[in-house]
Order: sequence, then structure tokens, then C-alpha cells
Amino acid sequence: MQQYILRRLLMMPLLLLGVVTVAFFLSHVTKGDPLSSVVSERQMNNKVVVEAARKRWGLDRSLPDQYRIYLGNLVTGDLGTSFRTKRGVGEDIADRLPATLELVVAAMIVGTGCGIGLGVLAAHKRNEAADHGARFFALIGSSIPVFWSGLILLYLFSVQLGWLPGAGRLDARTAAPPFVTGMFTVDALIAGDLQTFLQALGHLILPAFVLGWAVMGIISRLVRASMLDVLNQDYVLTARAKGAAELRVLLHHALRNALIPTLTIIGYSFAYLITGAVLTEAIFSWPGIGSYAVESARALDYPAIVGVTIIGALAFLLANLVTDVAYALANPKIKLG
Amino acid sequence: MGGGIVKKTRRMALTGSVFAVALAAGGWLAQTGGIIASAEAAGSDTLVIARDMDLDSLDPARAFCDTCQIYISSVYQRLVDLAPDNKTIVPALATKWEINADQTQFTFHLDPKATFSDGSPVEAKDVKWSWLRLKHMKSGPSFMMDGVTAIETPDAHTVVVKLDAPNSEFLGVLTAPYTGVTNSDVAMQHGANDSDKADSTDTAESWFLQNSAGGGPFVLESYRPNDELRLKRNDNYWGKKAAVGEIVIKQTKDAVSQAQMLESGAADIAMQIDPDTAKNISSGDVVIKTVPSFNFVYVAVSPGAKNLPVKLTPKVREAIGYAIDYEGTINLTLGGDGNLQPAPIPNGFPGTDNLPMPVHDVAKAEALLKEAGVADGFTLDAYFPNINVYGVDLSTMMQKVQQDLSKVKIKLNLNPVTFSVWREHINGDGIPVTAVFYAPDYYGSGQYVQYFAMMKGTAWSKRAGAANDPSVLNPKEGDLLAKALAASGDKRDGYFHEIALEIIKDRVIIPVVSPQLVLAYRKNVEGVRYSACCNLPTAELSLK
Repeated sequence: MQQYILRRLLMMPLLLLGVVTVAFFLSHVTKGDPLSSVVSERQMNNKVVVEAARKRWGLDRSLPDQYRIYLGNLVTGDLGTSFRTKRGVGEDIADRLPATLELVVAAMIVGTGCGIGLGVLAAHKRNEAADHGARFFALIGSSIPVFWSGLILLYLFSVQLGWLPGAGRLDARTAAPPFVTGMFTVDALIAGDLQTFLQALGHLILPAFVLGWAVMGIISRLVRASMLDVLNQDYVLTARAKGAAELRVLLHHALRNALIPTLTIIGYSFAYLITGAVLTEAIFSWPGIGSYAVESARALDYPAIVGVTIIGALAFLLANLVTDVAYALANPKIKLG
Repeated sequence: MGGGIVKKTRRMALTGSVFAVALAAGGWLAQTGGIIASAEAAGSDTLVIARDMDLDSLDPARAFCDTCQIYISSVYQRLVDLAPDNKTIVPALATKWEINADQTQFTFHLDPKATFSDGSPVEAKDVKWSWLRLKHMKSGPSFMMDGVTAIETPDAHTVVVKLDAPNSEFLGVLTAPYTGVTNSDVAMQHGANDSDKADSTDTAESWFLQNSAGGGPFVLESYRPNDELRLKRNDNYWGKKAAVGEIVIKQTKDAVSQAQMLESGAADIAMQIDPDTAKNISSGDVVIKTVPSFNFVYVAVSPGAKNLPVKLTPKVREAIGYAIDYEGTINLTLGGDGNLQPAPIPNGFPGTDNLPMPVHDVAKAEALLKEAGVADGFTLDAYFPNINVYGVDLSTMMQKVQQDLSKVKIKLNLNPVTFSVWREHINGDGIPVTAVFYAPDYYGSGQYVQYFAMMKGTAWSKRAGAANDPSVLNPKEGDLLAKALAASGDKRDGYFHEIALEIIKDRVIIPVVSPQLVLAYRKNVEGVRYSACCNLPTAELSLK
């Protein structure tokens, strides 16, 4: 297995080079003037200002030249400077990615935890009220658009009931905890600041639930289907005949095997959420990588677009690898090679 | 039977446990909410502003945007300031100044008490360095130093500026935040320079994103793009210190979110509440004031755009102007909370008194089109940025314009696009009809003439296609501008009035609405006002 993992890791730079090349040229052929975020609308007809900006941002060079310089910088770990934020793209991503990771990890905990629980419950209570209830709840999660559920829940729990804080990662008056991981809940705990931790956690609940709900629906349906298959297998009947407690039969004997096909979805969901959390981030003013990608695309911020694409590609490649490895670990019959 | 009882008991136990967990979670949530609420109440020295930030830099010589005006005027001081009447120029770093007879030489005397935030004195060399850097950066606000031929510093507290031509508005230009003075010694240590190659050799922008080097009432505390900008009080400020200890500008994209933050107390001021959203704010803790602004939204017609189906002659352009229902558009887009504006110079600026208001007259528009020989109608493409600006949704506004023009048989094909695509169109073949907006940098009409007039070299003469159709140019406007800049007082205003009438006659720029500005803030906030140069003067804000 170690060899397999090493081989996959060694393949990654090649795959990333392909992704970078496609992203670089695609973003440059997109219609629009990239100077829109560098030169203000009023000065866009000022030749001196426009030429100075083109020169400063390397847009006066030919496309192959720009590509060559970009690759050269990339090798040294330099992702370029964002046209919009005027900071290094690496710095921007380092700032934004932890916010998304914090949200996605929380969403995955909510989504997989509740999804598996609901799936097991639905399979166990097949065609009973609990099954219908769990499926209905799951169906809502996977059917309602995130922007709608986000707005409704925000309005209900924050504006009307006042149980949960509104948008953002922290209250505006609270300063972010000292940077360690960039995840406010973790950093607040490291700093021993319980109040900031609780506040960060409070801010995390709604967006994590909204994002996790969509995944919850898919996972619960998959777990239910797999559990129904497994529950009819001989070894489950044998376990029951031997007098094993129902909970043990469900969780120890049935769920372990039923989870194998679900692992693929969990792996993909993680990568998908990292790149696809944009709507949730927009609704909850969550300054993550998704909103960064959208802002960059709108402004034709080439360095940022390519930088985010690299991160997205990396997330998918790593998620694939982790899923494959987890698959093999969960089922020893599966051989990686 | 016994099994049934066990099952029921288990079910009850399970239900009870779930209920207990739900209650505990509810209690915890309420407690968390309590912690948040008390944090808001306790943070009485921090003032939160909800705003959709358009910051493009924090470098005073490169930044150029509405939020930049707030930031730079908070952190860097100018030689002169604009009084609350938005007209009178008052001393700031300069205690007094002299202007020569032909308005080509300005001598400023700096206040010897003035210091930067690090305690070092503000000297003439810093003023010279800051302005030369601004000029040589070739960036958005560099035009403020256009015409400056020399800056002399006879002593540490005297600055003499020489211009290549008379400019009665130069003092007004200096109220713009972008002319703020930077601590040159500190900035140079971090890669800044004022050489004529500064546009390619100055490397201080990234440093300015996390640090400030000014002498204003606040200093930069921290900045996270698209998240928040934190300013803290400059405790070394040489003048009257700011009343609030910290200002946080929190990125909040839309008006509804800003209103929610304001009502919940998460924000103290919301800066981009549109009139419609303002009407839905019911909290008794929120003060809503509507004031006229100097911002405006306009439609532009480009006679020189390529591939036009008919020639957009002055008569056709005049017909388009008459066909637009201005009042109806203001009602539709802003619920009536906007003002008519005759020329692309804001109401209340020099020369705008008694200008003829735009008139909606379909019969006159039809007659003009008939005279122009295009009474049967034609089709025009309209590309415009798909944005909501100052409460006006440009798509909604253009749909109304489309409806109005259809009544005189002009079909408008609407193409809402991103800003970058719009720029490519307008810089390429030109756009027959578009819609954009403008906000002032300082109190003065010259900036508008130099941008909108059909004089050679102005932004809009180029966009209107003067290169393809030189008949668009109006030579009178250049002569009148030179006279206005050489005059002062009523005489200057008279020339600007004449220019405004000429620009109206050009019929290239058609102002549609000057949106009123909604000042929305919590009732414990004092000192909220709109400034023509600086948007929101933060130094005047306080919390009761």
C-alpha cells in the first residue's frame, strides 16, 4: 500500500501541471478586461495609467511569456499577486482556506454523523414512521438550495429567535484569536479564550448545518440502501440467532460493511464542499476560499483564479487518494495496485 | 406483553433523552447568545460599520475608491479639509495659505504642532514627498497632481506649489483624501519612493496593507480583505483625539444584511442601506436620515460607437433624452428617494444653480426623431455593469429606459455584464448606450468637466467615439474650463454654469438620478454625516 500511495503522490505534480496549464490559458481567453480591478473606471481611458498598470502586472508581455514566468514562480512556491487584494495569492489562500476548512469539517461532522444515524434508523425501521421521517428530512436537505435554506434558517434562528449569532465568523467587535491554524474555534482553544471559542462555535453552527444538511441527505439514503442489503445477509442473521443485541448487530455487524460504498461519497463530498461552499459562504459572510474564487473570477484576477484552481485540484486528488486508501482499510479484500 | 412494556419504556426513555438533549442544546445556544450579546454591550469603545468594501489598496498613493476615501481620511491628514457644509475649505495641517493672482502658485504654512502617529513632526519634506509619489505612481488618484510643475520647501513648515496653468480648484483638490501626507522616513524604509520611476520601483504597497504611516486621528490596526478593516485611535494625535477607541468596518455585501446587523446591534452604522430597505427597518434603536448626495447615475450615448444602425446625431440624442421618464425611473428604482440632476455636475456644486431640469416629453422626442429621419425606429445595444450602486439597480433602471425608448420606436437590447466585460466593450468598439455612476473626489466642478465634457482627451470624449466621429467634440468647453480655472468666486461659478449648459447640449451624458443617501445608525451613535470628499468623517463619530 505504501508503494501505491507513493506512486499516486508522485503523479500529483504532473496532474497539477495539466490543471495549471488549462486554468491559465482558459482564464486568459475569457472575455473581459483584467485591468478592471487594477485601474479604476475613471482612469481606464488614461493611457499613462493603463500602460503603467499593464507593465506592473506583467500584462504587457505575451501570453507564453506570462505562462513561463508563472510556472517559474510556481516552482518556487510563489502563486503570484492578486490583482484585487494586492497581496500574494498564497497569503490570501492561507487566510481563506482555514475558514473554509473549519466550515467544511464542521459540515462533514454534521452531514456524515447525522446522515449515517438517519440511514441506520431508516433501514432499521424500514417502512415505519421513523423511516419516512428520516427520508423526508434527508430529502429536504438534498433538495432545498443552500442559499434558500441558509437564508430561512438565518432569519429564523438569528433574526427572529435570536438563539444564534448572524453572519460572519465572529462578532464584529471581537478580534480574531492569535493565528495558529486560522480556524477560529481551534485557535481560540489554543489561546485558552473560552468566550471567543463559544462565539466562534456559535457562528459555525448555522452555516455548518446548512452545508452539512445537503450532504446528510445523500449519505443517509446511501447508508439506508446499503444497510438494507447487508441486513439480509446470512452473517447478520447468524449474529441475531446467536442472541447479539440489536444495537450491536446494527452498528458492529451491519454498519461496518454498509459503510464501504459510503466512504467514496464522504471522500468526494469533502472535496466537493471545499470548492463548492461558495453559496453558504456568501450567505453567511464567511470569508472562505469559495467566495474568494467567485470574487476572483468576476474580476478576472488571473493569479487568484489559477491559485484557487490548484487548491481545488489538490483537494480532489488528495480526497481521491484518501478515499481509495480508506476503502482498502475498511475492506481487506480490496487490493490497491 | 412484557416485551411490549420494555419496548414502550425504551421508547419513552429515548424520547426523553432526545428531549433532554434538545433542551440542553437550546439552553446552551441561549447562553452562547447571551455571551455574544454581552460582548456587544461591553464593547462600548468599538464602533462597527457595516459596509460592502470596495477597497483596491491601502496605499494612499494607489488606493482609489469610496471606502478608500473613508480609510485614507481617517489615517492620513491633508493640508486642508472640507467643512460640514461641504463647500467651505478649512485649515487642517496648513494653518494658512496664500495664492498668487493668476492662481498658479499656492503657498502653505504647516502647523508646527502637527505630528505623525509615531510622534515625529510633519514637515514640508513629507508633503513634497507624498505629492510627488502620488504624481509619479501613475495610479488612479495620480491625476490630482496633474499640472504641478514644482514643489518647493523653503523651510520645514512652508510648502510652495507651482502649477503649469491657473487652477482655482487646486485647494478643493487638496481636500481629497488621496493628497494626505505620509511619513516619508517610515515609508521609505519599507520600499516607498517618490522618483519619477515610482510606478515600477516603489514596492511599499504590501507593507501599506498591514501598516499605516500617517498623522490622522486613527492608525491601521489590521486588514483582512473582504472581511474587515480595523482602525484604532491614534493616541499621539496632535489635534482633538477621536472619541471612539476602535472602528471596525465589516464587509457586509448587501443592504438587507446591513440592516439586519444594524437592527440586531451587531453594527452601529450601515452605510449602503437603500431607501426600500430603510422603510422596512422597524427597530426603535435605529435612526434613519435621508440626505441629498453628490452621487449620480447616468445613461450615456456614444455617437462614435462602431456598427451603429443609424447615426446618433444631436437630434437623435436629444430625442433619447426627452423619451426617458426621469420621475418614473426614480420612483421605480428608489421609491422616489432621488433627485433630478440636469448636468453631470452634482446639484449644489459650482455652476449648477438654475440649470434646466431634464424633461420627459414623448411628443417632442417623436418630433425630433422625425426631423432626424428615423421616425420608424431603430435598434441599439446597451451594455452596462450588472451592479446595484447607491441603491439603484442598473438592470432595473435600464429596463425602465428600455420601456421608455420603446414608446418612440427605439428598441434597446439590454446586456447586463460584469465590470471587466463592460470595460472591454467600451474600450473596444464602444457601446451605443450604457449606464454608469459617479461620486465626487472633492468639492469642485472641474473634475466633472475633465471627465464628461466633449473636450479632446477626456474619458467620455474617447468613449463617445470622438476618434470615429470628431463632430462629437465641443471646443467651447475647453475654453470655458480654462476661464473657470483662472477665475474665482461668482465669476468662476458663471463659467462652470456655461460649461454645464454646453454639456447638456452635447446630449452624450444623460444624468438620470441623484440618489438620496440613507444615513442609518443606532441611536447611541453621534456625529454621522455625509462628506463630499471623505464619505464618512470617522473622527467626528462618538458613542453615547
